[in-house]
Amino acid sequence: MLCKRLTMVLFSLFMLVAAESVSVAGEPTEHVRKTTDKIIAIVMDPGLKEADKAREKSRQIRSVVDERFDWEEMSKRTLARHWKDRTQNEKNEFIDLFGKLLERTYLDKVEGYSGEKVLYMDEKVEGKYAIVAVKIVTQQETEVQVDYRLQKKGNEWLVYDISIEGVSLINNYRKQFNSIITRSSFKDLMEKLRSKVEEQN
Amino acid sequence: MSATIQPFDALTFRKRSLFVGAPVSFFICLAFLLNFFVMPSLGGEADAATGSMAPEAAFLVSDTEAHELIRLAYSENQAAQANPIREEPSRASGRTIDASEDAKDADPWEDEPESMDSIPDPLEPMNRAFFVFNDKMYFWFLKPVGTGYGMVVPEFGRVCIRNFFTNLIMPIRAISCLLQGKFEGFGIELVRCVVNTTAGFLGFQDVARQGLGFEIQDEDLGQAFAFYGIGPGFYLNLPFLGPSTLRDTAGWVGELYLNPLDYMVDDFWPNVGFRTLDIVNKTSLRIGEYEALKKAALDPYVAMRDAYYQYRLNQIEK
Repeated sequence: MLCKRLTMVLFSLFMLVAAESVSVAGEPTEHVRKTTDKIIAIVMDPGLKEADKAREKSRQIRSVVDERFDWEEMSKRTLARHWKDRTQNEKNEFIDLFGKLLERTYLDKVEGYSGEKVLYMDEKVEGKYAIVAVKIVTQQETEVQVDYRLQKKGNEWLVYDISIEGVSLINNYRKQFNSIITRSSFKDLMEKLRSKVEEQN
Repeated sequence: MSATIQPFDALTFRKRSLFVGAPVSFFICLAFLLNFFVMPSLGGEADAATGSMAPEAAFLVSDTEAHELIRLAYSENQAAQANPIREEPSRASGRTIDASEDAKDADPWEDEPESMDSIPDPLEPMNRAFFVFNDKMYFWFLKPVGTGYGMVVPEFGRVCIRNFFTNLIMPIRAISCLLQGKFEGFGIELVRCVVNTTAGFLGFQDVARQGLGFEIQDEDLGQAFAFYGIGPGFYLNLPFLGPSTLRDTAGWVGELYLNPLDYMVDDFWPNVGFRTLDIVNKTSLRIGEYEALKKAALDPYVAMRDAYYQYRLNQIEK
């Protein structure tokens, strides 16, 4: 009622799920699939199921995610016009904190994995940018449309944004951060970010 | 819960019309007026042009083409009126014209990489107040009730009940399809309703989707209004109803007319009972989602507003 399907959509933020479908896929899709499969393997690993292994499990997921997600690019796009006004120290601290916030949200979703299916639907490549369109099918047969946006850096395709049902994560944080910075200050944003990350861990 | 299922009767319909009609016309007029102020692109000429063209086109060509034609007619008119001076509106943004190294590397899918554009929110203080209200409503009332209900009714049963209510409001989706010239979608909705109401045991099972692959058409009046060029107006966060816009609220009011529940269950308390069941049932299937949104956000109000905005844009595009 509060927000109808919207909340369902947001719930699926970062949801990573089992790979299916063997359609023709280029390099970007392969890279997304590789990471997804690795994460599912960790989540489903019976050796890591016990409660006392939770820390080890999230450490492993974290390292897989770090390889694929471009935290700096995400930070740059999220701060948008406020980015260039920052000193190098501020930038580094922001990348660290924002990365942690995203990781935490991501881990929460991934750890709730319960056999959802991932279908790789489409891929668009233009220069060094690519979109990989994925459909996630939950056990209640609900379908969620997820788009990964990637940028090629070196030999790797790195994720810089995820959209769920058309809701871009980076756009969403950009609006929030902009609203906070214009109302108060960048310092205030950093404080809010810091306390959010602490509260989550 | 006992309910008197009544056949459609003209007298009650008229009573209801009076009750609902006033706010409906008010909201729709407001939405139209606003549209002329916010995006003064859809003038009388546009109406005349498309009015004469749309019906013909609709019956001569296939569904998708008809849909495209109607859409095109509007967008052409809008473009013509929006740029009366510019003879040749530059289609490419400044970024692509620019031959610098940066331009070559520009992200082809991000329209405005640094865009801060978002929905106008002139009533933000009121909206924020209702946001807090809804938040409390959820944590103090809906969530505990939904959790308890979920412990009593197994998930399978809850999915069936959800299917029942989804099937019931078929007219909303069908009419919204029709208004947008999506005749295939309209047909699919009719077939879905017939199949699910019979073979799917009054809609408790979505056999049309499972057996025939007839997907539910995600359409509503708000999207239909948007199809005719009506902008969202401004953001509204309504008590009980959550995020919306002026246009989508007008759509919601219109949908009250199209919801068969009100014609079938006319007595006040049984009607409220059915609605409560619908809401509690839906909530029980979605516990944890709002919490996740809140947990991930630095400003949950802005996060919700933007998510709604982006989500609706995506729905309208489809």
